[in-house]
Amino acid sequence: MALHPSYAPNFYSIEDILATQERIPCKFLGNVPDMGHLNPSTLEKDLAAGTVLELPVWLVQELSLGRHSIVATELPKIYKESYREILKADACAVDLHKFNLYFYELGKHIKHFDRKGDVHDILLHTFKTRFRQIMDLADHSVSDPTVQERLETLEARLFSDAYDARTKLNAWLVESGAILEAANMVVNHKKRKRMNLDIIM
Amino acid sequence: MNPDEAEFLGEKQFISIIPTFNSGVVHLISGDVGPFRASLPTRVPLWMAINLKQQQKCKIQHPEWMNVDQLERIKEDEKKDKFFTKMPSEQYMIEAKLLLGCASDDVPKADDIRTIIKDIWDIRMAKLRSSVNNVLKSADSYAEFKNLTVMEINSIRPILPHALDQIYRMKINKHQGAQSTTLSTPFRTSTSFSNLS
Repeated sequence: MALHPSYAPNFYSIEDILATQERIPCKFLGNVPDMGHLNPSTLEKDLAAGTVLELPVWLVQELSLGRHSIVATELPKIYKESYREILKADACAVDLHKFNLYFYELGKHIKHFDRKGDVHDILLHTFKTRFRQIMDLADHSVSDPTVQERLETLEARLFSDAYDARTKLNAWLVESGAILEAANMVVNHKKRKRMNLDIIM
Repeated sequence: MNPDEAEFLGEKQFISIIPTFNSGVVHLISGDVGPFRASLPTRVPLWMAINLKQQQKCKIQHPEWMNVDQLERIKEDEKKDKFFTKMPSEQYMIEAKLLLGCASDDVPKADDIRTIIKDIWDIRMAKLRSSVNNVLKSADSYAEFKNLTVMEINSIRPILPHALDQIYRMKINKHQGAQSTTLSTPFRTSTSFSNLS
């Protein structure tokens, strides 16, 4: 029954730590002395201005802060135009797991670098669109392990919570001797659900 | 919350029984029950009724709403209405399950009632799911759910607050991001509801 505090910035949140570990591309605006070892492709002692490196989010946040930002950030490709178009087309068909394990968490950090707010919009859009799918998956308890492999971390957690609740509820419904159940005729009559939905929608 | 816990809470509901034994008043923490006089109806908590019934010490008088005509009416209303209709009892599902489970001989047409209640439950669950989805899609600042019963609320409890919480987080960051370059924004310290279930 313990509450688990899971959201950023939480010192103890493993997910937050892992999400901020993701790397994003950024460009150095000025020379940085003695940091040449960050760039494996050169042997120079100093890091030259204009170098493009992939740095973890936690570092970038500090570097790009304040008046004298040292780096200029770019969006990781999964948040760029072409990928956003894919998500807009049909977010449900996308394997978010392959995009990034921490698509939403990372997005929340990334969008501070995105002035136009596109990232913000696509995060919301994706989540809302895919929510129905998660709910459906959880309710029609398919014991198919591949289902979860297509979900992002946050979605996977939602899914398993919903799935647990669903299983418990189903167990409760059938546990007593007398099961409340629809008549056989009704169960076999496949159109029934669709008809009800029409009324509701 | 577990469904079993919801059931436990639902068992406090009073119900009328006709005892077949004589006994004085029983003092319980929740209040006094009885006295019991054979064949005189008295009101007891549901859990006690079930227990006495299992010992064959009483007949349970089924709640008024538990008859085919009324339930059919409710079912039709539920089908027609876009919103949730008011149910005769906050715990209709729990009462129905317990009573039909152990005292089906005291309820006339128990089988029919069982089917109708399951139909009503299914319709309401389908409604619930689509409205939850609509709420999230539109994600307005608030939504109103009326006339939901305990079990139904419980069934969406783990997923809905959590999902709304996440949307809230995604939204709130926009303003902070747009305002300034500062990243060390004071996020709302929030906790997940997921493990409350």
